[in-house]
Amino acid sequence: MLLTIIIALPLLGVLISALLPHRAESGAKWVALLVTGADFVLAAWQLVQRGITGTTGMQLETSLSWIPQLSVHYHIGVDGLSLPLLVLSTLLCFLAVLASWKITVKPRFYFAMLCLLSLGLNGVFTALDLVLFYVFWEVVLVPMYFLISQWGGERRQYASIKFFLYTFFGSVFMLVAIVALYLYTGSFDLTQLRDLIAQTAALKGAGIGSIQWWLFGAFFLGFAVKVPIWPLHTWLPDAHVEAPTAGSVLLAGIMLKMGTYGFLRISVPLLPQGFSGWQLILGILAVISIVYGAVVAFAQKDVKKLVAYSSVSHMGFAMLGIAAGTAEGFNAAMAVNISHGLCTGMLFLLVGMVYERTHTRQIKDLSGIAAQMPVYAGIFCFASFASMGLPLLSGFVGEFLTMVGSWKSPALPGIITVIAGLGILCGGAYMLWLMQRMIFGNPTPAVEGQPDITLREILCVVPLAALVLVIGLSWNTLLQFTDPFAAALVKILGA
Amino acid sequence: MEHVAQNLNLWWVLLVPLLPAAAFVVLLPMSRRVRNACRFVPIAAMVVALGLSIAAAVQVYPGSHIGEPFWQVAWQLATLGGHAVTISFAVDSLAVLMLVMVCIVGICVQIFSLFYMKDDDRRGWFFCVMALFLAAMLGFVLSGSLLVEFALWEIMGVCSYLLIGFWYRDEAPRKASQKAFLVTRTGDVGFFVALAAIYAACGSFEFEHIFATVANWSPALLMVSSIGLIWAAIGKSAQIPLSAWLPDAMAGPTPGSALIHAATMVVAGVFMLTRMLPVLTLNPLAMQIILVVGIITALYGAILACFQTDLKKVLAFSTISQLGYMVAAIGVGSATAAVFHLTTHAFFKALLFLTAGIIIHATHTQDMRQMGGLARRMPITTVVWTIGAFSLAGVLPLSGFFSKDEIFTVIWHSGQYWAFAGAAAVGVLTSLYVVKTWFTVFFGNSCNVNAHEGTATELVPVSILAALTLVCGFLTIPLARFLGHEGEWPSLTMAATSTAVMLCGAALGYTIYARQRSTERLKQIFNVVVSAADARFYLDWVYDTFFIRPYFWLSEALWKLDAVIIDGAVNGVAWLYRGLTRLINLLDARIIDGAVNGAAWLYRALTRGAQWFDSTVIDGIVNGLGTLSRAIGAALRRVQTGHLQRYQRLIVGAAVVIVAVLVLVLRFL
Repeated sequence: MLLTIIIALPLLGVLISALLPHRAESGAKWVALLVTGADFVLAAWQLVQRGITGTTGMQLETSLSWIPQLSVHYHIGVDGLSLPLLVLSTLLCFLAVLASWKITVKPRFYFAMLCLLSLGLNGVFTALDLVLFYVFWEVVLVPMYFLISQWGGERRQYASIKFFLYTFFGSVFMLVAIVALYLYTGSFDLTQLRDLIAQTAALKGAGIGSIQWWLFGAFFLGFAVKVPIWPLHTWLPDAHVEAPTAGSVLLAGIMLKMGTYGFLRISVPLLPQGFSGWQLILGILAVISIVYGAVVAFAQKDVKKLVAYSSVSHMGFAMLGIAAGTAEGFNAAMAVNISHGLCTGMLFLLVGMVYERTHTRQIKDLSGIAAQMPVYAGIFCFASFASMGLPLLSGFVGEFLTMVGSWKSPALPGIITVIAGLGILCGGAYMLWLMQRMIFGNPTPAVEGQPDITLREILCVVPLAALVLVIGLSWNTLLQFTDPFAAALVKILGA
Repeated sequence: MEHVAQNLNLWWVLLVPLLPAAAFVVLLPMSRRVRNACRFVPIAAMVVALGLSIAAAVQVYPGSHIGEPFWQVAWQLATLGGHAVTISFAVDSLAVLMLVMVCIVGICVQIFSLFYMKDDDRRGWFFCVMALFLAAMLGFVLSGSLLVEFALWEIMGVCSYLLIGFWYRDEAPRKASQKAFLVTRTGDVGFFVALAAIYAACGSFEFEHIFATVANWSPALLMVSSIGLIWAAIGKSAQIPLSAWLPDAMAGPTPGSALIHAATMVVAGVFMLTRMLPVLTLNPLAMQIILVVGIITALYGAILACFQTDLKKVLAFSTISQLGYMVAAIGVGSATAAVFHLTTHAFFKALLFLTAGIIIHATHTQDMRQMGGLARRMPITTVVWTIGAFSLAGVLPLSGFFSKDEIFTVIWHSGQYWAFAGAAAVGVLTSLYVVKTWFTVFFGNSCNVNAHEGTATELVPVSILAALTLVCGFLTIPLARFLGHEGEWPSLTMAATSTAVMLCGAALGYTIYARQRSTERLKQIFNVVVSAADARFYLDWVYDTFFIRPYFWLSEALWKLDAVIIDGAVNGVAWLYRGLTRLINLLDARIIDGAVNGAAWLYRALTRGAQWFDSTVIDGIVNGLGTLSRAIGAALRRVQTGHLQRYQRLIVGAAVVIVAVLVLVLRFL
């Protein structure tokens, strides 16, 4: 019931802000703020509760028959994998509303779309029925499409259509796989499918070419586009750059995680034998993403694009952790998910603040911010160091555990770990070079005379910065949720 | 939190790093004015930390072996796959020794900075970063697990980045800070890989656990982890080939340089190797690499120090060279010699840097060619510099003599005589550049008539360091005992050898520089060496040509690839798809729709035809019938006239016609 409230609360926001009279349209942001705020409080409260009990398995389950003829259920629940993501999602939605405070163009539509996005995201991270999952998965596309195409930058039409079609292309394959699984087992239920698949004779047989391998491949296409894994990543820089600040924050902060979540929730546990045939391919693609994203980020002249390419690199670490198939690797993937959401969310928020002031994202036009906006510069440096994976900050947890996990993995050769280590170095390179060009030096005309970060803006980034520190200092804050799940997953793979 | 019970409860030693860290945390969110005013806070924190460190030293006296903790504390950091991962801090004799050293140097540098940085409006921030830097170093030496060590190692990297780039508006500090961070991070990749490999092998980051299991590691694993750790130390301690960042790091404020060069940062690499010696000694190849790297670096630094004209650069290269000594000592397996030299070097190098700061303030230049005759104007400075510099050269009875002698001794006893020859050559070069600097700066022509003696806040800390440099050498035996070794005084032969080596260089320096002879002829003779030294043995050129520029090129190329090929493919697919839709559209419009339209047209034609037929023929017939019947009716209407005779005539006529028809019909039948 509580989960249903968390999912449905944004719907209230959608309705109220859409129905507001024209005269009270500026009230939409308050509605959205209240709704997303309440959502976050509820989710965070659950996280705290669960942290105390510390049990494994699904919790807060609700299951109602939805389409009985196809045995489709409204089945939702959370566990250590999904609850942190649910909290991150609600937090980022709340902060996205706060960061959009100055939106004056069609505010009712805008905030309704933000609420709808929140609904879709909450649904994806709680759905335990494949049809329900697929529905929420697609629901997410719609508001994001409008956010980019209505409030985006110059090339918003191109970017929004590309975003929509590209992800839609991937999810079609996912739908095929879902239907295939149903035809084999007669169920859409994630909690039962694992056993049903294990009992189905046709789905036995491991390695490349087996049915499980093909099904994994179909899911892979759906999730890989979302993560995104090289070479399916090119929608991402365009969408990130053209999206409004809140859109970029949610896109990078939480929507990319839908992909890795999909791997961990669906394809790896349901199709463990198919996974074994994919591990090496995933590992190689992941390590290419890591290095490639970092190297290309180095060449960027637009700061938003730089952060976008850095996302490709960071999500590569999550994928490498998954590909490793070890407990450290799965923990790493989840830690990267959360940490990247926090760090990149922060970076996009910060870039948005400077864009609001200077109306430019070109790095060469943004120099000497430290001299003009010292507090902003300090926070930016903190976010950059966090993104670089500095120890005592959250980024390190994921990157480091990825290295450990992939080194330990029998499926991946050691050289992959070494190359990933070089990727960490490249990560430092683009971030430091960005800081040198954008933060330090003498102020440019665009930066000269700009006011420092305001209180509202500080409030946007402080929760993220605090979480970055807490997770980085005490890994257990996060890993206490994810490790039981990771251990269970390793057990499934070993069986 | 779980305590590992030992005889002593030294929990309060943890306060040593925590106090400066707390000073940093408290001052960080303050406004610039408050921070500037509260510079005493980090100093106070460090003074208390020093007191605690000395108390710890007293408590653990008479010491024990390196790596045998008196007290340790462990936390559970995480569970991975249900397996608990701990981190820990441990107090052993090595850590205590380092704590005392770092605290003393740290306080001296801080006090010195009070005056040195007094005119900078971001001086509060400077003190903040120094406090974090010191906290990280203090925590680093106390760490009982490799993971903690790595974490604080990286924090030191960030602090050095912030200190070197302190004057961020200028180009040089910005570039130098970035270079320092990236080059050391290149080394950290090795640390990363080694950590991952070590954890994979033994499931723990604790030193105790690592050393307990190391005997069972596979040779490959041993190789990967030791090479990774060595590579990391090469980056942090500025060894060949990753040494080029350290001279550039001079772009930061001088007290920051003193901290980086003496007590923190660069010594971290040496310290880490010392800690990991039980792993490294199992791998003879690794030990050989360490020794070779150390000797080559010592030579590299010493040769280049001879060619520098910038006072701070001389010191920077001399640091590289001295670090090479320490690394070489580790390479022959002697932790004590390395640590002893590390300690004495920390004192005299901090002393030299701070004194250089006084000189630079007084003369407003770093170029030694514009200095001269300072001995008369700055007597105290001259005395303390002399103590530091002579200690660096290894003059009896200054501390540098003893620690260098110990390194000479251990290298000699290892039987690697080539290494000893290298070390001795470095000794000659060291006293050469020391003498050169000494004569150029303090004697000869008086270039700096306005130069004045430093203030008390500057002179007190350097005097403390000078005093330590004077006495430290006599602590050879107690210090060795404290670290669990039977120390011994340098043998007479060794002392004589090293003094001879020192005098060699000094004589050379005296002949050239005290007499102010032209070095032109020498330069011509050693032309190749001179031009190579001018280019710093092409190290920067190698970085630039083989790594930095190719990286820029690669990133541009990959970006083009991304935009043109990968995204091009995506857009190409979209374009093809649109082309296809247009084609189908055309097909649809012309053929399928054409057929439909044709059918419709035909149908319409048919309907028109049918309509014509309908309206013309059928309707015509119908209408014709109507007209006919109307016409007939009209015609017949005229018949009905009501005249009987006419009817009669008609009937008769009709009857005649009928009969005639009947007759005709019958006839033809």
